[in-house]
Amino acid sequence: MSLEDASLDIVPGELLAVVGENGAGKSSLMNVLYGLYHPDAGTFLMDGKPVRLRSPRDAIARGIGMVHQHFMLVPTLTVAENVVLGREPTRRGLLDLDRACDEVATTAKRFGFQLDPRARVDTLTVGSQQKVEIVKALHRGAQVLILDEPTAVLTPQESDELAQVMRGLVAQGRTVVLISHKLKEVLGVADRVAVMRRGRTVAEVRAAETTVSALASLMVGEGSRGAALTGVPAPPGAVVSDARDAQAGLAPLDAQDARGGTAASAPGVFDARREAAATAASGPLDAKSEGAGTVASGPPVLDAKDLRAKGDNSRPALQGVSLTVRAGEIVGIAGVDGNGQRELAEVLTGLRALEGGGGTLLGGPLAGLTPALAKARGVGHVPEDRLARAVVKAMTVEENVALGRHRQPPFARGPWVDFKGRRERATRLLATYDVRPPDPTVALQALSGGNQQKVVVARELDADPKLLVVVQPTRGLDIGAVAQVHARLREAKARGAGVVMVSLDLEEVLALSDRVYVLYEGRVTGHFPRKDLDERELGRRMLGAESDHG
Amino acid sequence: MGERTRQVLPSVLSVLLALAVCWLTIALTRDADTATRAYLQMLWGGVGNWPAFLDGGSATAVLRPLGEAAMKAALLTLTGLSVAVAFKVGLFNIGAQGQMIWGALAAALVGAHVSLPGVLHVPLALLAAALAGAAWSSIAGVLKLKRGVHEVISTIMLNWVAVSLVDNWLVIGPLRAVAEGHQSSITGTAEILATAQLPRLLGDSSRLNLGFPLALVAALGVWVWLGRTSAGYETRAVGLTPEAARAAGIPTLQRAGGAMALAGALAGLAGAVLVLGTEGRYPGSLGAPYGFDGIAIALIGNNHPLGAAVSAAVFGILRAGGTRMQLLGVHKSFPELIQGFALLFVAGRMVWLAVLRRRREQPAAEVPRA
Repeated sequence: MSLEDASLDIVPGELLAVVGENGAGKSSLMNVLYGLYHPDAGTFLMDGKPVRLRSPRDAIARGIGMVHQHFMLVPTLTVAENVVLGREPTRRGLLDLDRACDEVATTAKRFGFQLDPRARVDTLTVGSQQKVEIVKALHRGAQVLILDEPTAVLTPQESDELAQVMRGLVAQGRTVVLISHKLKEVLGVADRVAVMRRGRTVAEVRAAETTVSALASLMVGEGSRGAALTGVPAPPGAVVSDARDAQAGLAPLDAQDARGGTAASAPGVFDARREAAATAASGPLDAKSEGAGTVASGPPVLDAKDLRAKGDNSRPALQGVSLTVRAGEIVGIAGVDGNGQRELAEVLTGLRALEGGGGTLLGGPLAGLTPALAKARGVGHVPEDRLARAVVKAMTVEENVALGRHRQPPFARGPWVDFKGRRERATRLLATYDVRPPDPTVALQALSGGNQQKVVVARELDADPKLLVVVQPTRGLDIGAVAQVHARLREAKARGAGVVMVSLDLEEVLALSDRVYVLYEGRVTGHFPRKDLDERELGRRMLGAESDHG
Repeated sequence: MGERTRQVLPSVLSVLLALAVCWLTIALTRDADTATRAYLQMLWGGVGNWPAFLDGGSATAVLRPLGEAAMKAALLTLTGLSVAVAFKVGLFNIGAQGQMIWGALAAALVGAHVSLPGVLHVPLALLAAALAGAAWSSIAGVLKLKRGVHEVISTIMLNWVAVSLVDNWLVIGPLRAVAEGHQSSITGTAEILATAQLPRLLGDSSRLNLGFPLALVAALGVWVWLGRTSAGYETRAVGLTPEAARAAGIPTLQRAGGAMALAGALAGLAGAVLVLGTEGRYPGSLGAPYGFDGIAIALIGNNHPLGAAVSAAVFGILRAGGTRMQLLGVHKSFPELIQGFALLFVAGRMVWLAVLRRRREQPAAEVPRA
């Protein structure tokens, strides 16, 4: 992910929010400001002078602090030990813990934090740990504090408290940059909002003068309005852009047209462009006309009611999701990353246990589903994390083709592996799906990502699934592979499979889906048949803007 | 370089390098001539003094050393297999020693106290040993799968439990041989019956017994199971990528538990081969740590069942011949030193491969998402 021509002005003593979809470049831009990424082009002015940040150490020295989404704390150390880590006060060469505690207590008090410097960090709540991170940054003299998705891990009460903390910091003359995609929250706390889309900053507005729905439109970006506002029309499919012309600027005092940028690794650039082009090629316009012909009317293969499940962090990830999928249709699941899509796919494939709700899946109950049971009923699965879930990379391609059906013909005869049958089937599939090299005996890890994905898709479709659950099926693939995977999904649909497609790529959802459900915080916030699909409305629902629009 | 060569070559080179390093050590502390002659003695001691035999010496000069080597190789093969099988499912079995102890005890008890014809007695004693080893390793298996206890920790601890229970209590206490007539043993269980002895294959001139072919059959069996059956395929999949195996509907816990039990059974068989083949009873203590040697054997054999058998054969030969080095005043522990160095170099290769692999993977890594 990267930046392309992104500019940002940061005015001292204000609370600036940076909003954008996943992959819009928010975190990349902040990592540039914090010295983690190095710009390929563009300039970076501080107090009017050009600055080069080689590392976070440089950034810290210049008064920039960052609180990452995942805390960088040592759980078994105390608050004070964590805060002073790296610049510990010493006495005769030994750590002076008392002084550390005093210093930390002073800093905390100055900014109004309730923190016991001697408490062990692992005994603190997440909200308090976040405060430790903030105090750590302030203790190092941060004038500008960057908070990356700080409320993602907080309860609503903690979020309110954090809002007060941020306002308090601004009142004391510090500058706060808040990265978020929660628009309501942002409007409640920020002075100014910068909107990013596809690696660019497309708008900067005063929080008081905008609405959730206006921001949502800017984030999703619908052609004319977005262009009119910014004067820079983003190309229609450029989800991934190369960062050669990245720009970013940080200017506590004044930095009009300051330029910075990010480090896009050189090898990625070519692929990224091709991917952008690929997505563009299957963009909404041609796709709509193409897919609209076949409207599904088959029997339901999935009828899920009120699904509830916990996420990996044991917080509720699905909070009552109901959906139906019929044979012969592709149902898209849209949403910003982390709103329950992954957990939904896992529930449907038996990988995640239900906490509540149920329904039927291919003639059997959805409750108590296991991966083996799901397979037996005819569920195919193309998971998001290919290397962890879909393949055994150290095994050969043919062994991977057999995975999941390895106890059935043609892959097995009784308890024995059927080497001949497996070889034949694998060879045929590799040819059909144009996997390169078409050699079933090489280790899967020797294949490129796109070809690995083709193997997975080939395997799952070869099983002739009645319900196919695909998650981010084209992430990281090049143009040819993307087109092929899309064609295969349409093929599965034509063969009468019900397809559930989770994708963070709105273009992809729009291109392929007959119907779209929108997930937001584990709930369905929108359900659109194809004819009612409206990119802008979809985007607003993805951001939880359900209430202020019918 | 073919895939097979790439798997075998590092192990072969590691062993050769270890041999060279140890030769150099002897040459530097003594002299080059002594080192070479000591190595020759080791070789004759392991594979037999062929020149002397061909010059008209007795067949014993060849058969005896070969028998000793095969005996040691059999034990190393079985414990090596034990470690390798667990490794295939992603578990590190440090507990072959403890599993072997229980296998040896079970074999000794069945061998001494059950009365059966030889055709049945030996298999029954072997079965008892395998079950005892499997039961012991399954404790670690269940702890791992149900409670998440790391198997390295639990198997190491279970080794000590086994030593304490068997060596320090059972065989000097309740299970100690009861004095018969004028004979009375201070420690150890009763002598096994003649029907339970593993038959010697070459008569009295060599201690080569059924244990060696048994170990080879075990190696072959594990190889076939892992490579040619669906259950073995599932086991490997679980070991390589557990989440993918789970998503594919493979019963991962069952596979891991099964592999751990098999590992224990193989180590238990090693105990049986020791007791039924050479010791004749469970001695006061099991002595040589064949269970721990199994770790080295498995790793040098690249965790491949046949690789383990080959590496066990090599080190069986070196160890059988090692005692002969003393004739030249060279300490007999050199074979173990060679084994240690070989393991070190093999481990070094793994580090090296890991570094290379990481380098290769890096360009393909995904760019972090914003």
